[in-house]
Amino acid sequence: MDTIQALYHGLSIAVTPGNLLAVLLGSFIGTVIGVLPGLGPTATIALLLPITIGMNMVTALIMLAGIYYGAMYGGSTTSILVNIPGEAASVVTCIDGYQMARKGRAGPALGMSAFGSFFGGTFSVVAVMLISPFLAETALKFGAPEMFALLFLAFTCISGLTGASRARGLLMACAGLLLGVVGTDDIQGVDRFVFSTLYLQDGIGLIPLAMGIFGLGEIFYNIEQREADRSLIETPKSLLPTLKDWKDSTWPMIRGSILGFGIGIIPGGMPAVASLMSYALEKRVAKRPETFGQGAIEGVAGPETANNAATAGGFVPLLTLGIPTNSVLALMLAAMMLHGVTPGPLLLLKWPDVFWGVIASMYIGNIMLLVLNLPMIGLFVQILKVPYGILSPLIIMFVMLGAYALKGSVSDLVATLLFGVVGYLMKRFGIDPAPLILAFVLGPMLENNLSKSLLMSGGNVLFLFSRPISGTLLVLAILVLVCPVFLWGWRSVKRRLGEGGTA
Amino acid sequence: MNIDRVLGAGAILLAIPVGVASWGFGVGSVKSPGAGFWPLVIAAAMGLLGLSLLLAPGPVQPAPRISDSRWVKFGIALGTLGLYAFALVPLGYLLTTAIMLVIQFRWVEGRSWRSSTTIAVLAAVVSYAVFRVLLKVSLPVGVIPLPNGW
Repeated sequence: MDTIQALYHGLSIAVTPGNLLAVLLGSFIGTVIGVLPGLGPTATIALLLPITIGMNMVTALIMLAGIYYGAMYGGSTTSILVNIPGEAASVVTCIDGYQMARKGRAGPALGMSAFGSFFGGTFSVVAVMLISPFLAETALKFGAPEMFALLFLAFTCISGLTGASRARGLLMACAGLLLGVVGTDDIQGVDRFVFSTLYLQDGIGLIPLAMGIFGLGEIFYNIEQREADRSLIETPKSLLPTLKDWKDSTWPMIRGSILGFGIGIIPGGMPAVASLMSYALEKRVAKRPETFGQGAIEGVAGPETANNAATAGGFVPLLTLGIPTNSVLALMLAAMMLHGVTPGPLLLLKWPDVFWGVIASMYIGNIMLLVLNLPMIGLFVQILKVPYGILSPLIIMFVMLGAYALKGSVSDLVATLLFGVVGYLMKRFGIDPAPLILAFVLGPMLENNLSKSLLMSGGNVLFLFSRPISGTLLVLAILVLVCPVFLWGWRSVKRRLGEGGTA
Repeated sequence: MNIDRVLGAGAILLAIPVGVASWGFGVGSVKSPGAGFWPLVIAAAMGLLGLSLLLAPGPVQPAPRISDSRWVKFGIALGTLGLYAFALVPLGYLLTTAIMLVIQFRWVEGRSWRSSTTIAVLAAVVSYAVFRVLLKVSLPVGVIPLPNGW
């Protein structure tokens, strides 16, 4: 099918009343949870998965996608108005956005971040649409060795890109792989680490894991870190940026879109990484870098564009290769599997409605968010005024409800609680949970493809390197894995030499 | 105390039993890997990473200090949720959730009795109505007698 024709088909799916409602609901819920600190898109999607079971598959995915990009729009509101990031991806928006607000320019800051989000989101959706069919076609030719190499590369990128310490990230990824092993083995039917319990035979659920770590963990953490001062800035009257603001923001938005999309398609390239890099880039290329941190609109427009571009970009590897690049997309993968859809190269062939329906809904969603967000800013500010002391028990209630409702299982509830404690500890000691969740999802695929490749090769590991695609991907993965170690070793040698010289 | 050292030691301590258990699943050979092959690979990687963290930990980051009263609140929140898991099915969603919320509002968040009970009961009833009645999510009914269709 030709792309334009396919998009038209997608639009005809996305504009049915039920699906339009799903876009609206998804982007609205997304914005609200984006505004609220303490509840991110990962926990929300985990929470809402149980209620999407009864829905039509396309409708459910359209709504969940809306929550994800809606959260990116909403996250900036809190950053600008109260200097608290509603979302990890909006951390850098605090720097200049809040300074703008303090100078009475909250309106243009909010307006520009909404326009930037729209621009970045739309740019990325177009790119997703153009790249995905080509990538899926290539991936169709992949055998087990290529798939293993690709997954392995994804795995090394994820552990390297996230968090402060590489070894720690890799260790967390190993922990995730290990959790993924629990249960009855698919190939040989051997029970692994089930400790004679019926519950563990099915394996550990992604939903209790994600809800515990991202939902409860966050709440537990906030119980002790009492909320920072929420001296709210007045609701701005006009959100329209000035002509100069537009001029200053045009290039940051263009750069942010390209950068964000590029980061979004790399495993581990979360929207938060995209916004941070965009901020750094804008500061570097700025004519007057000293204005950054004092309320420079470029510091809002660039990152806010980049995080939305990355959000949509992440759908490329998910929909064409079946590889989620961050924890939210891992849950989207779970949602698809729950509905019997396996994301990957076959998605476009077997379920074109899912692919084109979701893509088309993202165009509509981005327009809706722009139209909704600007007039409804007052409402979002009101939501911000709800004290955290009321919100956090209610969030706990939703987490517990969602954990139970998925299978009607008390064991899931207990598991969620245990992972909540784990998530709390990780948060407290500054350990990024993303590698754990992603490795948990990728682990079974890695094992499966490794086993198949080894069987194919007759036990010759070098066989993996002898095939052009898998060989290239594996060499890339090894470079990603090893290079930083060399760099680190070289630096420490230099440091020692330096110390020796001065002593 | 350096968190990297703790993690490293923990990883090594975990890798040993995981490795032993993997042998038990049947490792097979590189030609035809058994069910224990993959967990053994993971255990080996964990052991090596644990060793590297133990020997070359990152700089020490002091964990944020927590006051005693916060610990008590954390304990209450966690304990209540533990009990919630066990009481949910026998007592039913409405009653258990309302009680859990009252405790959270009153003792964890320090709100007045009146506002705690009001919000708790309201939230339990509304969430039940939306999820059970409207969205047909199955939730335990428990001891409170409810009209048909609820």
